[in-house]
Amino acid sequence: MRAGALLFSAFLGFAMLPGCAHKAAPVKMDPLQNAYGTETDWNNSERIIPLNYQQAEGKRIFYEQCVWCHADQTPAGPSNRSNVTPAPPLWNDGATLNSLSDAFLEKFTAEGGRAMGKSSMMPPYGNTLTQSEIRALVAYARAIAAPPYGAPSRAGQEK
Amino acid sequence: MNRPNAQGPLDRLRRIFFGDPARRFAWVSLLLTLSLAIAPTKDFFRQWRHYQRQYSKFVESQPDGRALRGRMASGIHQIWLPDLGVVDRCTTCHLGIAEPTLADAAVPQPFRAHPVIPHDAEAWGCVACHRGQGSATEVREAHESTVAWEQPILPVRFIQASCGSCHQDDLPQAPRLDRGRQLLARFDCTGCHKIAGIDRPAMLGPDLTDIGTKVSREWLYKWLKEPRTITDANGNQTVDGVDTGEPQMPTFRLSDVELRELSAYLNAQHAHTIQPYHFDPRVVAALSKRPDVADQGEARFRQMFCSSCHSLAVTRAGETTLIGGDIGPELTKIGSKVNPDWLVAWLRNPQQYLPHSQMPRYEWSDTDLYEVTRYMETKLTDPSLLSDVPKLGSPTKTEVDAGRKLFVEKGCASCHVIEGLAPQKDFGPDLSALGARNVSQLDFGPAKIPYTLIAYIQAKISNPRSVNPAGRMPQYHLDQTSLDDVTTALLSLTGPPATRGMEKLVVARPLAEFHPAGEFGKLYERYKCYACHKFNGFGGTLAPDLSYEGSRTTRQWLIQFMENPQTLRPTIVLRMPQFNMPENEAAIIADYLEMAMQSPAVNPAEDRKEFTPAMAAAGKELYEKKYQCQSCHTIGSAGGYVGPSLSNAGNWLTPGWIQAWLRNPQELVPGTIEPRQAFTQEEIQDLTAYLITLKQSGSFGNAAGASSREGTK
Repeated sequence: MRAGALLFSAFLGFAMLPGCAHKAAPVKMDPLQNAYGTETDWNNSERIIPLNYQQAEGKRIFYEQCVWCHADQTPAGPSNRSNVTPAPPLWNDGATLNSLSDAFLEKFTAEGGRAMGKSSMMPPYGNTLTQSEIRALVAYARAIAAPPYGAPSRAGQEK
Repeated sequence: MNRPNAQGPLDRLRRIFFGDPARRFAWVSLLLTLSLAIAPTKDFFRQWRHYQRQYSKFVESQPDGRALRGRMASGIHQIWLPDLGVVDRCTTCHLGIAEPTLADAAVPQPFRAHPVIPHDAEAWGCVACHRGQGSATEVREAHESTVAWEQPILPVRFIQASCGSCHQDDLPQAPRLDRGRQLLARFDCTGCHKIAGIDRPAMLGPDLTDIGTKVSREWLYKWLKEPRTITDANGNQTVDGVDTGEPQMPTFRLSDVELRELSAYLNAQHAHTIQPYHFDPRVVAALSKRPDVADQGEARFRQMFCSSCHSLAVTRAGETTLIGGDIGPELTKIGSKVNPDWLVAWLRNPQQYLPHSQMPRYEWSDTDLYEVTRYMETKLTDPSLLSDVPKLGSPTKTEVDAGRKLFVEKGCASCHVIEGLAPQKDFGPDLSALGARNVSQLDFGPAKIPYTLIAYIQAKISNPRSVNPAGRMPQYHLDQTSLDDVTTALLSLTGPPATRGMEKLVVARPLAEFHPAGEFGKLYERYKCYACHKFNGFGGTLAPDLSYEGSRTTRQWLIQFMENPQTLRPTIVLRMPQFNMPENEAAIIADYLEMAMQSPAVNPAEDRKEFTPAMAAAGKELYEKKYQCQSCHTIGSAGGYVGPSLSNAGNWLTPGWIQAWLRNPQELVPGTIEPRQAFTQEEIQDLTAYLITLKQSGSFGNAAGASSREGTK
């Protein structure tokens, strides 16, 4: 009798074993709690955009080098944008920048307007910033773009 | 009756299983087989296998699924770096970490690609930055604080703390960490705590030796009770976040009796009495009857750029903000705070009252001094400032003695110098390894907060009594961003590196001191040049680095600028103060800068090159057409204002500097925003020839705007 009970309980225990491999509850991820940095939407001060390291680097470099002409407000007051003709695109201007490829924006930033057949007022940054810094600037533009930027591969997928 | 019935089924079972030896053997074999199958089955259901199966399924939905599937290796993955003590199996489940096509936020975790960072996961592992248990293969074990492993995953919001464990120098790529460290220094946390990497300055809080001559006992009572004296339109006591609104003095939550005793003790501190300054009677006679004397003083206050260091609260459209710098204290209610005789004596010679003060010693005329002090005494006031303070009267001996005892008990002498008491050292606990503390090592007391190190640190700062009702830690009122920044800096304090390999990676904080001797050294101390400017790596960041100023500017321009530091740019708030510097002092400073502060990249021989009008004409063409420098620089009234105005470049800059600058601006001023162009040598000559022709007659003072703009970086 005892052997039977033993056998039965062993069988039960075995049957329950798969249950031990509990499905892990998904780790809760609040995008802002888990962001390296943040940026306030330029057009909506209540919307906070989470930034990863590369985008946050882009933001830092942008506010040092680019903000003077590619934004309407700068840390030091009014923007230089109105002094430059044609007016440079705002860095969150999705309508203008979303259709341009990463490679084009990187090349434009590195080589400047003159080399690309555009205004000389955009100087070349290829000797000042590294390629990864320029890439970060583009990643930042994509993160803050309004209307939002859809990566080409995904955009293709949706269609 | 019952027994046979009850045993009936069991007997039957026994017969079925063990009825004869063959059956017995068969059943036992089956049992053995099944028990042998336990191990592989258990293995099949492991969490990481579940994720690997999910990943296989997930990548099939991707456009490059075939390639992704091809690169995926099943089984446990491990990054093993014995030098760093790293055994990380995180990539067992985080399978897409190195797949750039999985970077999109729409990719579910744990499969998303790691964002681009300067460190390669293969060379560093994961735990060095993210914490958690690298060798675990179960979600909970790896990420959370468990009995066996207490260090949980660090939320990405605080991840810059991990940068700081090795990078003890300034790290612009980790802005949260940098700001947190600045706040730790600003709020004088080193007064009571030992914090690796943050120096204990010579002076923390003000020297209180003569505080009784400066402020009233009532003001002391008010200040000790609630140091935040500015309220906005909604009655909130913090203004404009922590940057300017939060005083460095924290709230100690003292009782009325304690406030009476401490204010009595401090009120009795007057080792040196003030000798009231006697203004020229003619000045007093002329000015005292003028109704606009305070307005004149306000204009002078503005002209001297006191606001470069001191802020004032301004209420516009119901919103109170502080405008001005934060090197010195905010002055909105100074007139209701200090004794007028003290104010005059202070302005004339701050170091006489406070030897460590960063306030420069200005050269005053009696008229200016009278007007400015009248302005501060009559306009910068708040009649109701002390209305909620009880009448205190003169301090009694008992109160003073009790106050002295309290001063020691509360650790006040950790930050403040006072007559007759030795400075208190290490009053609070050593925080050098706080960031590596396990939760079980912390005492949460009665606090109802999550049991995490982060929640503990934040409660200790913003509501210390919730954690320890009898604790000595004062209360700080930081906004959430600043609190997170400080928490990040504290979490970065993980003590000595765990392995030799880690030890080699530590980037130490560079030590810089610059205290020149001689005549220049005296003026350098008098005007506190280093409060705003950097000299050979030492000093403030508000104004331009002067390490190479001698190569940059002409001596005459420097002298004129120091005598009259005006600017053509009205948009900039923080500017060089008007020191009213005598000409001989300006000459001493200019001589020193010209001689000692030279850049090796600038060749003085290039100053003497010949620049012809033809070259200047070619340079003008390059400036205006080819490179369109006017997009950032102003000449006359036309152009942009990203870079400095060049209207007076010929008087201001040396030709050698201009040439070196055009070759490589970042070599002269690291981090300057002028992009390095690929000019030819001939273009550099032509542009220099053009720039040195630009001179403003009679005025040298045009570059202050440039200075301020650079200083905003």
